Amino acid sequence: MDEALEAWLRVAAGDPGLTITGRARLSGGAIQQNFALDVVHRGAPASWVLRTDSTATLAVSHGRAQEFALLRAAQAACVTVAEPLFLCADARVIGAPFFVMRRVAGMAAGHRVVKQFGGQPDLVRAIGAEMARIHTIRPPRADLAFLGAPPPDAGRAMIATLRARIDAAGTPRPVLEWGLRAAERACPPPVPPVLAHHDFRTGNLMIDAGRVTAVLDWEFAGWGDPAADLGWFCARCWRFGQAAEAGGLGARADLHAGYVAAGGVLPDAARIAWWELLAHLRWAVIAADQAARHLSGQERSLELALTGHLLPGLEMEILSMAERL
Amino acid sequence: MLERPDAADLLATARDALLAEILPALPAEKQGVARMVAAAIAIALREAGAAQPATPDLAQLAAEIRAGVHDPGEAGHDATRALLRALTEARAAVSDPRALRRNG
Repeated sequence: MDEALEAWLRVAAGDPGLTITGRARLSGGAIQQNFALDVVHRGAPASWVLRTDSTATLAVSHGRAQEFALLRAAQAACVTVAEPLFLCADARVIGAPFFVMRRVAGMAAGHRVVKQFGGQPDLVRAIGAEMARIHTIRPPRADLAFLGAPPPDAGRAMIATLRARIDAAGTPRPVLEWGLRAAERACPPPVPPVLAHHDFRTGNLMIDAGRVTAVLDWEFAGWGDPAADLGWFCARCWRFGQAAEAGGLGARADLHAGYVAAGGVLPDAARIAWWELLAHLRWAVIAADQAARHLSGQERSLELALTGHLLPGLEMEILSMAERL
Repeated sequence: MLERPDAADLLATARDALLAEILPALPAEKQGVARMVAAAIAIALREAGAAQPATPDLAQLAAEIRAGVHDPGEAGHDATRALLRALTEARAAVSDPRALRRNG
């Protein structure tokens, strides 16, 4: 793909002398593929990442254009992201649409991040600030029209979505129903929608030398309640075995202080606790779906198989949290 | 009578060998897989030793809970809460005993 790609990049970057000096496949999933690109751009070496869809999943290939738009909106809101550079919607260049972003240093793996960077209040405050900046993005936004209209009530919409997924999966889950019903009874009133990342957690933040170098994985971003992100980040299931409440990294108070210092308006504690229960419910539904991919034979995988065994532990938390609402 | 050691003994011994002898010799990027194999064996071992709890009609129970039949103030609320906790504890004892201790 290098020749056609190089020709396209020369036009996109406005640099007829641009050359690709290296390309290596990075970790990727079943849906996306990432390549590290080393280029010489305007006479200087540069490190980029090319992100594209697996050729097997062309049906969702418009996803890259949306992700590019979200990254640009985040960057404009001063969120720390890998700078999006060029979008190519033409599948003929490399076989699928792609975009190119700057490569950032650091690591994201949750278990390693909490061990290496836990207990640094400055980092936790910086994470809170990133979240607050995401939440400054408000509808309506023509560039984010693909997100659709904001739900009139993000909390009730989430309950309905999770119930529909449980029904579609076909396995009765009385404890999840118990948690959802408790959430329904205690549902806080809707707030004006903001852009919520919807997977903002340790593991989706690139960290280098104790600093956030990129907020990753925007595929679930949408209009919603800012407390959804605060609850998701602090949910026990995303603490990677650590006691520290803010993502296994530090104190909730530091996360909130950083959020407020960056201009965020902190939701009340009950609303955040409500979304923390929803975080466990949502992760339990996702975990059940992942195990189902293994069980159905669609994707036999030890990791997916073990993910199914997270459900009883998540359900223990859900029963306890439902009591405290 | 089948020959001993039995399945539980073999699984436990295999898991010990994996953790003590194979894991330390693996490159870092493969240690995660070895840990997952050890975790899977541990779950299978616990399942082999677990009693199967008597299970009610879960589909009916789920539908009733969603419909509010077991809400606080309803006659069956406390019994349903206790049942759900007992069923979940039995499953967590196999799948995730640490979660059981946290919420015990």
